[in-house]
Amino acid sequence: MNVYCDVMVEFDPARLITRIAATQDREAFAAMFAFYAPRVKAMMMRRGASADRAEDLAQETLLRLWRKAGQFDPARASASAWVYAIARNVSVDIIRREGRAAVWLEEQDEPDDEDLNEPEQHLLIAEREGLVRSTMATLPEEQIRVIRLSFFDGLAHSEIAELLGIPLGTVKSRIRLALQRLRDRLGELQ
Amino acid sequence: MNDHITHHPSEETLALYAAGTLDQARALIVSMHLARCPACREEVARFEAVGGALLEQAPAVAMKADALEVALRLIENERVLPADTAQADPLDDYALGPWRWVGPGVRQRSVSVPEADGIKVFMLKAAPGTRLPHHKHSGYEWTCVLEGAFEHAFGRYGPGDFDEADETMEHKPTVCEGEPCICIVALQGNIRLQSRLGRLLQPLIRL
Repeated sequence: MNVYCDVMVEFDPARLITRIAATQDREAFAAMFAFYAPRVKAMMMRRGASADRAEDLAQETLLRLWRKAGQFDPARASASAWVYAIARNVSVDIIRREGRAAVWLEEQDEPDDEDLNEPEQHLLIAEREGLVRSTMATLPEEQIRVIRLSFFDGLAHSEIAELLGIPLGTVKSRIRLALQRLRDRLGELQ
Repeated sequence: MNDHITHHPSEETLALYAAGTLDQARALIVSMHLARCPACREEVARFEAVGGALLEQAPAVAMKADALEVALRLIENERVLPADTAQADPLDDYALGPWRWVGPGVRQRSVSVPEADGIKVFMLKAAPGTRLPHHKHSGYEWTCVLEGAFEHAFGRYGPGDFDEADETMEHKPTVCEGEPCICIVALQGNIRLQSRLGRLLQPLIRL
């Protein structure tokens, strides 16, 4: 049997983060690194970083993940959403410090929300994660494309319009439609 | 307090915030609202879940061969920080200037967001009953109320309320009776006063 395969099947990032927080577990960190670092690197490159720079930014993201592991609350966010938010903040901080066109948002910790610390909320988050994924799979290509350009590539709506050669209003309405669909599906959960 | 928030950022604004594509000035005003509004934090979390799903599905770009070694060395001397339950104030990262007089009953202090594209961030403190001059904007004006309240044609804005105005809107805000109103504002371009008197006063009101 291939142990590596078993590990992949059981890849449970939320548990890995919890293990890092509880025991500074380096193995758990290595597993997180193996999955997320190359994807964060891809995200940073889409956001305009060179391959070398993106490598550094992925390192920075995983380093922050290590430091902040204690703040991860599986009742509030899925692991991927949490890593995404850290990576986004890294890209924003760096772009800001190095002064690309505009200045951007300061990194900040998400405030805790006590009333979300219920066990049912864990289920809800896991369900939400699945629903987000399955709903995104049903979105028309034109919608998923603008969503990806906005959330992953970090482009402004006007930049997306220019890139795709479509009116700004069309970009906004596609994003609105996609988010509306997600909201409708997620609303069924509550 | 949260129950009283009736004016929220638009869905588009929260989506841009979650994507990290708002300029720093506007992002700060949004984060001031988020610190006071669990409903909008939940909305941002939903959008971050979209980002998370995209991240998971992203084609991986291989890291360098020694990347994990580098990472393990980086964390070697780094402690995992304890869970911090205290709510961080987004303003902690900025220096605030002294309050200075800008007009009758109105004081202003700067917030050290680097000025870019003609956008500035400041706090305003206005005495109860103050009528701010009827004005138009040449760009956007985003406001989050921190204390007290004001009202204009679109309603009453109390603590935590978010006012997203752009160049299409005319404003004639009045500070509600009771306590002084303190707001944080991101302003792009200039404010254009609408009355003749206002235009005479414009040089005095140094916004």
